[in-house]
Amino acid sequence: MELLILFRNQRLILHLHFKTNTVNQFLTISFSSIAAAIHNWLALSIPNETLVKVIDLTITGVLLLGFLVILCFFLGYMERKVAGFMQARYGPNRVGPYGSLQIVADTVKLLFKEGLTPKASDKFLFHLAPVIIVVASLLVMAPIAFASNFQIWDISIGVLYMSSVSSIAVIGILMAGYSSYNKYSLLGAMRSGAQIVSYELSVGLSLIAIVILSGSLQLSHIVESQRDGWWIYKGHLPIIISFVIFLIASTAEINRAPFDLAEAEQELTAGFHTEYSGMKFAMFLLAEYINLFVVSAIAATIFFGGWMPFHLGHWEAFNHIMNFIPGFIWFFGKTFFIIFIIMQFRWTFPRLRVDQLLTLEWKYLLPISMVNTILVTVMAIMGWHF
Amino acid sequence: MDFYDILFWILSVMAVGCALGVVLSRNPIHSVIFLILTFFAISGHYLIMNAQFLAIVNIIVYAGAIMVLFLYILMLMNLNADAEPQKGLLVQIAGILSGGTLFLVLLAATKSAHNEEINKVSTNVGLITNLGKLLFTKYVLPFEISSVLFLTAMIGAIVIGKKEPQLKNGEEHIA
Amino acid sequence: MNFDAFILMKSEMSLTLIIFFLLILKVWDGIKDNTALLHVVNFLLLINLITGFFGNTDGSLFSGMFHTNNTIYLEKNILKLGMFIISLQSFDWLKNHKHLLEFYILMLCTLLGMDFMISSNNFLMFFLGLELSSIPLAALANFDLEKRKSSESALKMILSSAFASAIMLFGISILYGVTGTLDFTEMAPLLTTSQLSILAFLFVFAGFAFKLSSVPFHLWTADVYEGAPVSVTSYLSVISKGSIVFIFITILFQLFKSYDTIWVNVLNISLLLSITIGNLFAMRQENIKRFLAFSSIAQMGYILLALTNGTQTGESAAIFFLLVYTFSNLGAFGVVALLSAETGKETISDMKGFYVNNKFASWVMAICLFSLAGIPPTAGFFAKMFLVTAGAEKGNYTVISIAVLNMVVSLYYYLRIIKAIFIDKPDTPLAKLNGSMMMKISFVICISGAIIMGFASNLFEYINTITGK
Repeated sequence: MELLILFRNQRLILHLHFKTNTVNQFLTISFSSIAAAIHNWLALSIPNETLVKVIDLTITGVLLLGFLVILCFFLGYMERKVAGFMQARYGPNRVGPYGSLQIVADTVKLLFKEGLTPKASDKFLFHLAPVIIVVASLLVMAPIAFASNFQIWDISIGVLYMSSVSSIAVIGILMAGYSSYNKYSLLGAMRSGAQIVSYELSVGLSLIAIVILSGSLQLSHIVESQRDGWWIYKGHLPIIISFVIFLIASTAEINRAPFDLAEAEQELTAGFHTEYSGMKFAMFLLAEYINLFVVSAIAATIFFGGWMPFHLGHWEAFNHIMNFIPGFIWFFGKTFFIIFIIMQFRWTFPRLRVDQLLTLEWKYLLPISMVNTILVTVMAIMGWHF
Repeated sequence: MDFYDILFWILSVMAVGCALGVVLSRNPIHSVIFLILTFFAISGHYLIMNAQFLAIVNIIVYAGAIMVLFLYILMLMNLNADAEPQKGLLVQIAGILSGGTLFLVLLAATKSAHNEEINKVSTNVGLITNLGKLLFTKYVLPFEISSVLFLTAMIGAIVIGKKEPQLKNGEEHIA
Repeated sequence: MNFDAFILMKSEMSLTLIIFFLLILKVWDGIKDNTALLHVVNFLLLINLITGFFGNTDGSLFSGMFHTNNTIYLEKNILKLGMFIISLQSFDWLKNHKHLLEFYILMLCTLLGMDFMISSNNFLMFFLGLELSSIPLAALANFDLEKRKSSESALKMILSSAFASAIMLFGISILYGVTGTLDFTEMAPLLTTSQLSILAFLFVFAGFAFKLSSVPFHLWTADVYEGAPVSVTSYLSVISKGSIVFIFITILFQLFKSYDTIWVNVLNISLLLSITIGNLFAMRQENIKRFLAFSSIAQMGYILLALTNGTQTGESAAIFFLLVYTFSNLGAFGVVALLSAETGKETISDMKGFYVNNKFASWVMAICLFSLAGIPPTAGFFAKMFLVTAGAEKGNYTVISIAVLNMVVSLYYYLRIIKAIFIDKPDTPLAKLNGSMMMKISFVICISGAIIMGFASNLFEYINTITGK
């Protein structure tokens, strides 16, 4: 049973239908039955069909937002703890048990801070920019499969959708940089624009490797194709290469260290969000963490099978044992593993220079991923994968 | 009015309004932002027509890639308000007259055209499997030619844009 | 395996092979000597030209996207011939140029685009071919990299040509909306005289008129011609325009056949304006490239005159004229290229006393200008006569008489240059220009073409028979 918004018969239908768990071995907690119950109750109590759909969509959106806020609290805490761990210090340890409420305290502080707007700025764009960045990162969440049959929008071209929508964020960044009327902001925005536009190519090409092997752009199909093993294992060498490329390039695409030239504090104060303060600044942080999560979720879905448990070919007994762990635990486990890796990058590598950044992409990553794409194609044709 | 109609109207108003905004706004950056919004509205229309691939490609190509380039150009431009050349009154009137006439003619021609009710039955033409098949059978030649077109555009841009190494004194200038 | 595709598309295939070869040469970067490279390229172009004459069969490919017949082969051969002559003429300019290979790659890509465009039987193919043949030309116009004028002309060309393409594309999209197909053969019977489709035709026509630079869409021509390197200018004025005329004939005569009463009027207005304005402005020009630009605007008017005929008489007259025009205009441009490459001067007053030290080049210029003006012993006379008689078949004598009157006017400015070359005596005559062997070969080809074509009457008959099919 799935929560789907499909554009069928040229009508937007909030598509909810029960599948009486065709795959019985998956002991997933079915969020979807709750969703269906809410929908049915609404449909019974409100006669207007359109209104029901609107309410359904609103509930979905609010739930997603709530989930993301909690997620960002957690990621903020995690980041600081990982940083502390890597630098052999404690990290936050004052507010709440083990400093766990530190981020809440920070948020309260940001809420009460004055939101400054520079006098010479382009007011409309200045206020719009953080919204666009957050919306762009929220949109990418739509096709992510959290658990079996639990997906907001199972669009038939999910991979393409994610790579295209994630590129909208750059418009918000450029907007923020331009409207701040500050040369640090503008420089930061320009750097980030150049960076995102170039690294997007490698991200796309590394995703295409899996698309070639699984023969579909739909995320649910890609997850399903990993029933007998994750692609990182089935596709061996070329897929490991593309996974590494994806990890590097997507770290660059979300502007995280060591690719955080857009906000290099020694040179640009804080880059494109220099002039932002208070809640609008918090929105940039929010977007950064959502992007981090999204990128890791994509990597987990594409290379590590998403919610698919760890299966090995036809070892039925082993697979069966693995199935007892619910899908969403697998999904979040893999995602957080990748987030952990990306967070470690931050404290491992020094920041790159602009020319090094562009050299890395255009002279190394892009040619490698192009050759790798050919390799994967040959592999798919000859059937050299498991 | 069902959900689809509401969406259609919202998107249409957005598309037309933003398109007007592109032309009417004085700040070029605002124009670009309006242009992006127009593309998004059009992508929304594609989605309603079940052409998912087209919608996404529209976003990738126009709203994403081209707009970024556009913003770059605009930011490198001198955006002082007084730098904008003021046209003479005669030119303005001539522009309004010719533009208005063209608009009128277009409107009249479209109005007189034989209108058929659009077939609302959903098609799967816009889905990627069908598009892919068409692209590699019937339209394979245009598809390949467009790649040559991009190649030439790249070569041309590189030749024009590449900075020549500075010549030292006494060195002969080779054109 | 089916080899049809390779045989029918042989001119495209050979061009693609040459482009690939040049790309590899560029990447390999092994031959440092420009002269050697130029000889290699010219040799390849010669082979490319020769292959165009053999093994021509009719047929269509890719479900009607691409079609070819003897007329199309002939048209492609004319373009290839022009390309070869231009390549010979640009020898002097290119032998010191850094981006020699890019020049040829872009040039051949435009030629490839033109080939596809001429062979297209579908608006999609046509439009892609058109773009492929015009976008690289804007880059080519900027190949005098250190000249400001060159960049200016490139910018003017790309902006105005993008605008024209957009208008044409709008027309095509309306046509698609009206008929539901892009295929020429499928679309032709579906076109009714509804206002919307006539409007669409006008938009498409505007796009064509821009590329042909016929008045009132001519404003870009003079500036672009002036700034661009001479070889690119000659390419623009002869080959680019020629290819557009070829596909324009197909689209007018086949696709818009049912509109012939409408487009005759549109053509008449456009051609009268082109001939008159082209001539009037050509008189006042000092720069030879600008002068040739306006003269080519006027020449396009005469081609449109033949097209008003609407039958194959008009078509064959136009093709024959373009063949002659290729020789005569390229000859004139060749002399300008020689002058420009050696001295950097491009104005008419610079040519004063040209004859004193450069007898051969002066005669080439004279013969080619006579041919352009349409003076009897040269081929230009016959070509123009065919154009005018084709136009006269419709019985539109007002238009014909104005056009003929303009031919007399045009004599004035063509003779002005000849006067400067042969009669005017400057204080210091131009020194002897040592053109390369390649330039001389191109001159020989041009003048022999401009003279012999006039007497080779069976050529026109041949064109007439293949267009009649």
